[in-house]
Amino acid sequence: MHKIWKLIKREVMTKLLTRGFLIGTLLGPILISGFYFLPAYFATVGGDSPSVVRLVDGSGLIAPQVESLFGDTLDNGQRQFIITPLSEADYRANPDFPGEEIEAGKTDIALIIPENLLAGGQITYLAESISNGGLIRLIRSRIQQAVNLRRMEDAGLDPGQVASLTLPISMKTLRVTKGETEESSMSTAFPTAFIFLMLLYMTILLYGAQVLRGVVEEKTSRILEVLLSSTNSFQLMMGKLFGVGALGLIQYVAWIVLAWGGIFLLGNTTPEVLKNVHLSPEIFVYFVIFFLLGYFQFSALYAAVGAMCTSQDDAQALSGPVTILVVLPFIISISLGMNNPDADLAKTFSMLPFFAPMMMFLRIELSNPALWEIGLAIAINLVAIVAIVWLAARIYRVGVLIYGKRPTFREILKWIRYA
Amino acid sequence: MPALSLQHISKVYENLRAVDDISFEIEEGRMFGLLGPNGAGKTTTMRMIMNIIIPDQGKIELFGEPFTEGHKRQIGYLPEERGLYPKMKILDHLTFLGEMKGMSGRAARDNAREWLARFDLADRANRLVNELSKGLQQKIQFIGTILHRPRLLILDEPFSGLDPVNVKFLKDILLEMRREGCTIILSTHLMEQAEKLCEQICLFNRGKIVLEGDLGEIRRRHGHNRVLLSYNGNGDQLANLSMIAEKNDYGNYVEIHLHDNATPEDLFRALAQTDLTISRFEASETSLNDIFIELVEGLPHA
Repeated sequence: MHKIWKLIKREVMTKLLTRGFLIGTLLGPILISGFYFLPAYFATVGGDSPSVVRLVDGSGLIAPQVESLFGDTLDNGQRQFIITPLSEADYRANPDFPGEEIEAGKTDIALIIPENLLAGGQITYLAESISNGGLIRLIRSRIQQAVNLRRMEDAGLDPGQVASLTLPISMKTLRVTKGETEESSMSTAFPTAFIFLMLLYMTILLYGAQVLRGVVEEKTSRILEVLLSSTNSFQLMMGKLFGVGALGLIQYVAWIVLAWGGIFLLGNTTPEVLKNVHLSPEIFVYFVIFFLLGYFQFSALYAAVGAMCTSQDDAQALSGPVTILVVLPFIISISLGMNNPDADLAKTFSMLPFFAPMMMFLRIELSNPALWEIGLAIAINLVAIVAIVWLAARIYRVGVLIYGKRPTFREILKWIRYA
Repeated sequence: MPALSLQHISKVYENLRAVDDISFEIEEGRMFGLLGPNGAGKTTTMRMIMNIIIPDQGKIELFGEPFTEGHKRQIGYLPEERGLYPKMKILDHLTFLGEMKGMSGRAARDNAREWLARFDLADRANRLVNELSKGLQQKIQFIGTILHRPRLLILDEPFSGLDPVNVKFLKDILLEMRREGCTIILSTHLMEQAEKLCEQICLFNRGKIVLEGDLGEIRRRHGHNRVLLSYNGNGDQLANLSMIAEKNDYGNYVEIHLHDNATPEDLFRALAQTDLTISRFEASETSLNDIFIELVEGLPHA
């Protein structure tokens, strides 16, 4: 144990204060939040500049209410829509005018509203890009709202009645957790799950790769045989796994401190970005548990692969299958687990070694798996870790002394048998 | 009590008998040479002594006890392929190596400083390993091997890559350690070196021991009439001398084997009759190299 401890100490001390580690610690969460929020941000807001709209209102319904319907402001206080009308007569005289204006860059959007709007006539939306779903939905719903009101008034309802009839509903979404209901909507559970899943995946991959690089470096620098004269291969491997794992945990602690420190400092003025992330002590605990479960499974395999290599080139060629074992659970978690965390298939995956760390974590975030399910997943994965470490240690033991050509699959089986 | 005893050790890889039923003992405080060409099984044997490779058969005892992991603290091992962490500071690295041998951090650091000073490297203590030349790295590696004052030192080709000044420096330290009671196993393919340093040798070839025992004893057993000659002039004249059984002529220098019934003095007198200029005449014991070649060539090839 003494020697494993010294190995861990060396690993941590030589890496902890390096520039790479510090940068990773500071930028990691920012980058990952960025992955989630930037696309969403651009999709809803369409950038931070106002949309210039040319409005041809044949119905005469929309133009008078432009102020109330499209009075939105942007985050920077500017108006979201700058609307200039074009009379129907002018439009008829030159129907190509709005299109030309858009091509010339003077207008972003042209809205052409037909005379028979109330009778179901089709509105035309012209723009250079029509992929901005959020903006189109917004405009559509505002016009719909105006049309609905007018139809009801036309049906003989007085404005007071209309107002009470069209009072917007209010809905809050509650999640059932541990027998209680907790106020959290899909809009917070979802980004939180996504960000933490992303962190889990990236840190497992990153630290697994670091184990791989470390073992190959120890092999190419031939330090391993020197160390084997002081300790044995099992202690060496475990020292590496624990050492790199400890670095991972240190990084997490730094992130937690940063996150809570940030919340504490910002208080109620939490920026929009963080409002959607739901941070509870529970999520951190599960996060650390499932990181460790995943980390030990994958990094032991990476250590075994490292022991097979003679150079970093070998490492790139041989680590593919292990990397697939990390990527696959992530993809399945994202596609299956995010959409339907309680599907039978998702439940099955949330028990399996390699898959459970990401899938079970996701299910805990998005759904409410029973405690026995979580316990069983943890137990299965602990057993898997013992088996994988045992196997990896046998490959490692033989591999670290063998240099030269890459071993074949048959040779590796032989190593496992004879070690 | 022998410091090390190997009994009927064998190791087989696939279809290669790397080490084939070898046995030897080393008394404490001796300098022991493990000799033989590359691939003879020296490194495998040393790795088995360190329990880095487990023998298929046989028994290894250290200081009268079967090997345990705890013995590693008493051994210093310098592998043939040197290795250090390139991105560590020298003093930190040596301290780490000492700690891995069970020393306290402070003792390891103090010892490391002492040795660095002795090797004239004190001013580099806080440099990174990869900022040093290969030769200096090798010195660092050697310090790492002896830092914890081992009782048994196993050195695989310790002199390779060192300049003559450092070879002498290293040799003096080894002799000093032996005087202090350290048992030293030295593997080398350079027979001359072993001849000068070792009291006891073990000669390997193709995984088997060809020759083992006290060096003086071996020389007496396998000795021949041998003369080393440095000369100027036409070497062809040597061919006419009847007492020469065999010669290995380099042009200005020749190694001569005499017939069993001839003496070096016979050769000396005969040479006086030639017009060769003799700058050195040395009646010599047979070199280990010759003994080795003779023994190996006498064996049927496997």
